[in-house]
Amino acid sequence: MAAAATGRGIGFIRNLSGLFHSRLSGVVGGPQQLSCLHTSTPLETKNWERNNLIVYPPQLADEPRRPAEIYHSRRQIKYSKDKMWYLAKMIQGMSIDGAIAQLEFNDKKGAKIMREVLLEAQEKAVKNHNVEYKSNLYVAESYTGKGRYLKRLRIHGRGMFGIMDRVYCHYFVKLVEGSPPKTEEKMSFDQAKDYVQTLKNRTIIHSL
Amino acid sequence: MAMPMRRTLLVLHQATLRSLKNAETSLDVRYPVPLFLPVRTKKRYFIPPAVRMKDRRSLEDKAKTAALAYRQQYFERPINISCTAGIFDAYVPPEGDARLSTLSKEGLKQRTEQMRQSATSQLAIRKIKEHDPHFVTKEFAAKAQEIFIEAHNALAQFNKEKLHSLVTERCYPEMTRGNRYKTIRWTFVESLEPPKVVHARCPDMVTKGNLYGQLTVRMHSKQTLAIYDRFGRLLLGSEEQPKDVLEYLVIERHLVNPYGRWRLHGKIVPSWAPAKDPIVKTVMIPGPDLKPSDEFDALNYKVPTPEAVQWHK
Repeated sequence: MAAAATGRGIGFIRNLSGLFHSRLSGVVGGPQQLSCLHTSTPLETKNWERNNLIVYPPQLADEPRRPAEIYHSRRQIKYSKDKMWYLAKMIQGMSIDGAIAQLEFNDKKGAKIMREVLLEAQEKAVKNHNVEYKSNLYVAESYTGKGRYLKRLRIHGRGMFGIMDRVYCHYFVKLVEGSPPKTEEKMSFDQAKDYVQTLKNRTIIHSL
Repeated sequence: MAMPMRRTLLVLHQATLRSLKNAETSLDVRYPVPLFLPVRTKKRYFIPPAVRMKDRRSLEDKAKTAALAYRQQYFERPINISCTAGIFDAYVPPEGDARLSTLSKEGLKQRTEQMRQSATSQLAIRKIKEHDPHFVTKEFAAKAQEIFIEAHNALAQFNKEKLHSLVTERCYPEMTRGNRYKTIRWTFVESLEPPKVVHARCPDMVTKGNLYGQLTVRMHSKQTLAIYDRFGRLLLGSEEQPKDVLEYLVIERHLVNPYGRWRLHGKIVPSWAPAKDPIVKTVMIPGPDLKPSDEFDALNYKVPTPEAVQWHK
């Protein structure tokens, strides 16, 4: 059932991408916005991959070079989204080489799948999205989502039944060209100082 | 609450019917509804609808019951007869074309050779004139250049309908492949030499009378080309710097078709053509296949380049 559903979804998105020919600066096609009806359900839409189809207008000479953004995902991974979340947040903000290395030596099942997804995304970036150096990428966004679950019966004693969920998850990743941004680490003493300062900045209104 | 009652009622009803049948009465006599239900028939479990016995029928049977019309699947492949699949008897441009000045001895020799067209070309032009009485070779060259300029402008703006009317079905995918997520800016600055028809052929496909006319036009012009990728970054060329371009265009028309039009069919790239400008990107070239014992000698390794042969696009 899940396979049939995804097959229908893929056919749907292919038709959509045929109609969808966005050559303007990130503006989505008109008819979909104007209709007041839900023409596509949240279960079938592949919005994450659609981000790969926006075409930006040519840059002028004085503008800074726009970094390339590559959106990639894998759907219906046979793993729990909560367990996958730990890995996704671990690699968020890392450079792609660092992320691949960390996932290679992680013992979780999701780490192997995530590593494959990152390698696929890196290859796509070099081949299709005009990224010059494959190591010059970092993971800007990385998160998991709930997939379509299968329900099964879990038989208990005394003729009692429970409904068991066979969990599936999606994994989404966005790679951006460039070196990873440095996060400023604030020391605890500085944080405490800022807190005291906010307390001192308080004023009493309508006072004498 | 209503469901279990109804089920037990049904069971009772069926049981009574059976007993009635045995008792040889044909009328449906209904017994009064019992005042209390046995507790052991209460439903105590819940099976989600997804886990219940699913329809084991095939997709076709389900579609039939749902009265959906399934379109017949055609295992066919469409072919296009409004244009040929390639360039027949391609023109071989003489070496050093447009390199020597007209005033030198070699240049003059080249000019005189070019003036004399081969007999097959003359025959082909005669055939074209049979089908199209208003055809003049000298005017056609200028028209070909117009078609070329309009086609490339349509490509830059990506006007599909106009492009299809100016370019044959064979040439269209070659022109537009890979352009969907890129921006192309092309301008025609000026023509350095007037365009000239250098070659003509009239091949007939499949049957004897089905004639297509292919004319090769030589064009020397100045053009600017700039290609930007998906993010608006320059991939190739520049918008300010024009380049001198010597091109051999092949224009085709389905002569027998009264609605046929002269359309751009392809380009001929000679074997002596200079190499194109490299793209603004470093590309990794895969190295040679080495055995585990071999060492890779980076200094003496020659990057494989394609051999210089004439090809037409």
